[in-house]
Amino acid sequence: MLAAILAAGIAVGATYALIGITYNLMFSASRVMSFTAGQLGMVGGVLGALFIGRMGIPIIPGFVLALAGCAAIGVVTEFIAVRPVLKALDQHLYVLSTLGLALMIQQFTAIEWSTEPQPFPRLIGVVSGGPFDEKFWLPVVACAITVAGLEYLYRRTLVGRAFLAIAEDNFAARALGLPERNLRVASYALAGVVGGLAGFASGELLLAFFANGAMLNFLGFVPVALGGLGNNRGALIGGLALGIFQQAANFIVGGVFASVAVFTVFILVLLLRPQGLFGAPVARRV
Amino acid sequence: MILSRRTLAKGTIATAAAASIPAQVRAADAEPIRIGWLAALTGPLASPSIGFDRGVQWATNEINAKGGVRGRKIELVIRDTQGEPTKAVNATQEVISRHKVHAIWGPTNSGELLATTPIMARAKVPSLVAGVVNSLIDPVKFPNAFRVTPANSQWDEAVRNYAMKVVKAKKVAVFGDATGYGTAARDDSVAGFVKAGVEVVYSGIIDPALPDIMPEVLRMKNAGAEAIIPWTVSSGLAARLMNARAEANWNVPIVGHPVLGTGEIGKLVTKPENWDKVYIIGYKSCSFDATGKLPPRTQAFVDAVQGKMPLQDTSLWWVVSGVDSIRLIAEAVDKTGSSDADKIIAHWNTLKDWPGLYGTYSFSPTEHNGYKTEEIVMQRANSARDGAFALAPGYA
Repeated sequence: MLAAILAAGIAVGATYALIGITYNLMFSASRVMSFTAGQLGMVGGVLGALFIGRMGIPIIPGFVLALAGCAAIGVVTEFIAVRPVLKALDQHLYVLSTLGLALMIQQFTAIEWSTEPQPFPRLIGVVSGGPFDEKFWLPVVACAITVAGLEYLYRRTLVGRAFLAIAEDNFAARALGLPERNLRVASYALAGVVGGLAGFASGELLLAFFANGAMLNFLGFVPVALGGLGNNRGALIGGLALGIFQQAANFIVGGVFASVAVFTVFILVLLLRPQGLFGAPVARRV
Repeated sequence: MILSRRTLAKGTIATAAAASIPAQVRAADAEPIRIGWLAALTGPLASPSIGFDRGVQWATNEINAKGGVRGRKIELVIRDTQGEPTKAVNATQEVISRHKVHAIWGPTNSGELLATTPIMARAKVPSLVAGVVNSLIDPVKFPNAFRVTPANSQWDEAVRNYAMKVVKAKKVAVFGDATGYGTAARDDSVAGFVKAGVEVVYSGIIDPALPDIMPEVLRMKNAGAEAIIPWTVSSGLAARLMNARAEANWNVPIVGHPVLGTGEIGKLVTKPENWDKVYIIGYKSCSFDATGKLPPRTQAFVDAVQGKMPLQDTSLWWVVSGVDSIRLIAEAVDKTGSSDADKIIAHWNTLKDWPGLYGTYSFSPTEHNGYKTEEIVMQRANSARDGAFALAPGYA
């Protein structure tokens, strides 16, 4: 019983963490909280089910195509919902533009795909059923690879350091000759890949369902707030904690009360540490 | 007698007026019988209406091919409401005011009906109702509205009877999804079981977006439930319930809403056997018996439409309910010789055991729920064939 709850908790937690990382990737490149993060997760699942399940494309090309589709959506987000409002960041117009694009993606999927959940194909099929079923460990593996890959990218590669530079101070980075605009587009494409990976890896758990986008948008934001904005390791820990706590609350109190319990803890954490559990308070120039 | 000019003029007017009456009557007699058919033909709630529409079109063509009703053809005024109450309200007003329909069939979901039923009542247009919400029918407030499907209380009773008498469950787990319908249906169901002396060991509301409902299923199992009673219209939640029941190695029956038997479930269960021991609300008229036969009236219809109308992708009861509704309106005009609203309503108020394809309907001035509870049965959820299902175990 405990194993079943833990397995599902860690799996959904890893998915939330990946969506949190998607938020972070887009935020660090542009200072914009893009509400297309959850929709990228939804689209990853839908495209995986479409390419592999419905069109019969082999798993690896299907996987690559699904991630490429999500990367394209990431780039489109940068072009049409982020770039036009960057000059007026203080007016927070990006809330409207990214939310509008997110709704368009959701409605388009509902019309073209289905309004009912659709099955996601079995990818490996080694263990069927129980806490070691692939639907539970695939999101965890995807999350681990993503976190390790991003650490490598940021710490060991020049491109990664350029990403960090524009995240730290994009004016200074531009002054040093870094192609800030291209790096931002690349960052949004990378966010698309990570978001798509979240949906693809958790497809067997969440199913290919147009309404997953809104759910992931919401629950994927929690690890960002818990872990500290822009902090991927914080998002990972926050996501896993959220997933396990949510499943435990479902078992102990159940139903809609579980959501109340989750958000009570969330609000309490933010009251005690507004910068998140792992975020540092922002220094303010005086 | 001296005929004055004034008397002559009066006589001429009176004669002309008298002569014109039969002409008006003849004109009314010759005009088509206009039926407003308000259907969610597109959008997420379209599946039932597409099924109903096949029956509606079939019955209309059948009657018109035979020359209509007393020489009057049936004319459908179809409006796609897309399942949205605001569009349904506009469509209702349009078919009443502009097209002056003689009767209305639809909309076919409760949300739209809650918005449109008072409008139809104000206009006194005879309407046939295919929504399960109990409050849609009130012969005092809505004397024009007649329900041709079961009310939710009848569904509830059918599920409760099956859980108690056939499954012989003494303890049940009842839940609804986190929608208005799911919450209300769960409350009614729990109250019914408690009143009947069955212990409700789990009563919950589950968010249909939850990716994993194993914790909830474990709570039901640990509480000792002997049957699960779900009230949800979410096929995703229903399939997750079946998969979690199998993973928990728990073999109790699931008894509930017809959505448990939709084709989507077959694609979402991880193993086909996860769909076993799941029983859905259904109807005698659309149930195969042990020999695989439908009741004679329904079988004759299915034979008649074979190859002309697809039945595999819909529910048979939607189709035959559409047929019945058009026939009910046509018969009222035929029997009363008029398409006047008052006469149609008065005729329906006298119907007793009217033999339709979907059910046997009876109405009276004080009872506008026409579907008989004894015609509601439970069916095996995974036995769909041509839109019909096999009877669940326990029926002779």
